[in-house]
Amino acid sequence: MKKRYSAWLLPILGIAVMIVFLFPLYWMIVTSLKPEGEIFQTPVTWYPHTIDIKSYTEQLSGSSYNIWNGFKNSAIIALGSLVIATVLAIPASYGLGRYKFPGSHIFLLLFLVTQMLPASLILTPLFILFKHLGLIGPTYWSTILANATMGIPFSVVTLRTYFAGLPKELEESAKIDGCGTIRTFFRIMLPIAMPGVVVVMVFSFLFAWGDLIYGMTFISKESMRPITAGIYTFLGFQSTSWNNTMAFGTVSIIPVVLIFIFVQKYIVSGLTNGAVKG
Amino acid sequence: MLSRQNKITGYVLVLPALFYMLFFVGYPIIDNIRLSLLDVNVMNVSHGEQPFVGLGNYKELFEEGVLVTSIVNTLIYTVACIVLQFIIGLAFALLFSKTFRFAQRLRGLVMISWLLPATITAMMYKFMFSGDGVVNDSITHLHLGSHIDWLVTPVPAMITLIIANTWIGIPFNMILLTTGLTTIPKDIYESASIDGANALQKFWRLTLPLLKPAIYSLLVLGFIYTFKVFELVLIATHGGPVNATQMMSTYAYKLSFELFKFSQGAAAANVMFVILFIVGILYLWMVRREEVSSS
Repeated sequence: MKKRYSAWLLPILGIAVMIVFLFPLYWMIVTSLKPEGEIFQTPVTWYPHTIDIKSYTEQLSGSSYNIWNGFKNSAIIALGSLVIATVLAIPASYGLGRYKFPGSHIFLLLFLVTQMLPASLILTPLFILFKHLGLIGPTYWSTILANATMGIPFSVVTLRTYFAGLPKELEESAKIDGCGTIRTFFRIMLPIAMPGVVVVMVFSFLFAWGDLIYGMTFISKESMRPITAGIYTFLGFQSTSWNNTMAFGTVSIIPVVLIFIFVQKYIVSGLTNGAVKG
Repeated sequence: MLSRQNKITGYVLVLPALFYMLFFVGYPIIDNIRLSLLDVNVMNVSHGEQPFVGLGNYKELFEEGVLVTSIVNTLIYTVACIVLQFIIGLAFALLFSKTFRFAQRLRGLVMISWLLPATITAMMYKFMFSGDGVVNDSITHLHLGSHIDWLVTPVPAMITLIIANTWIGIPFNMILLTTGLTTIPKDIYESASIDGANALQKFWRLTLPLLKPAIYSLLVLGFIYTFKVFELVLIATHGGPVNATQMMSTYAYKLSFELFKFSQGAAAANVMFVILFIVGILYLWMVRREEVSSS
């Protein structure tokens, strides 16, 4: 008896909950497709009665702030941070996971702590530091360097558990076969840890992709700022043009949605990472 | 056996990343202290004399009052978000850990709110809660109440931010609690049923106490992740109306990059650091205690 009723009740409940939960996302996409006049119609139209893609094409032609340009800036910043974070984090996590040396516990703790520090905490001194280095201005560098500080600790902490979990025999048999440390790492350890490497690359990318604070503070030239900064500016000056803003938002989540579809099963491990104890 | 070569390899591997973090995060934290004791503003940030003012910036900020308002706001916001996220996250965890069609897939979909850039979430909520937005439209048409200017009235503005952030935080709570739920052995429930316990009793007497470790880390990590809110506030309310939703992070930003009082911005950030530091210590202490009791 009980089984039969839960067979249809629970899926319906689950789907209903999800419809409510994901409504904001739906609303953004729907609004981006509505013509200006329909947006504030009362009562609201729950789906676009006339589909209007002007808010997308208008941006393409570059008449106002260019969405696609912002998209390109975000991509450069996110990819740059991803490269720095991955190149530095892979060896560091390998060192912490496979080697025992004095201070390794404190090093790990330092990574754990820096992962939790908010950007707003270090923004002012970082701005002054970059100013002295000549990196405040029309350049992506300061933003890339700053965003990598979010990816590095996350990647180190996540990958360390991956490397630490690999059996010791792998290294030993490689040694017997005459592999040096470097060859063992590239030929054996790294390929095995690849799923973990993909996770940290994805998250390093996403952290930087979502950044607003560094991009809008460090990059002086508006046309070089990330898409999030474009949205911020857009909301400040053109708050009435909601369909354009929503088109902006929809375009900016394309990579997030793609990543979500392809690496969904890894996301859970990323989410719970902050909770694992060193 | 710790061979010398092994030790050196370890350091060589770890130190580049560590130096990077020390240079771009560690140094700024120390420099924050130095900056907060000087008077650095837009005139003397690049060159010129930067006079030492001691604790003058802190004194001025506390006397002026907005800093205190922002501390109170941040704490109210953080506590409200943690409670709401926890309740809804637990409900989600309980629902989606049942075995039914699509359960796994639906649980996966929840994750998307955590992945979206906060800027986008802020924009969506700003639009939904705007004067003629879908929230007001629904309220008036369903006769649930009268039109509210959510984002420009103090308490409703705070409520909007709390709702938006709760939406972001639910997946995190759900996943941690789901993990916690899977560690509870099923036969405990069976024997409780035999003893005549009903569903509610089982929840209060078994589920919640057994989730305690997960709940501890949720509270502390939730605090740290919620406390640092920035984009959401900056975009949805910009700290307004009249500082009613001014948070510590947005205030520190405003001082440095809207008013160009860099030293005061650094001082406000330091106050924030002290609060986070205390919570962080608390967390490490709890983790250690838990490890001792579980080993």
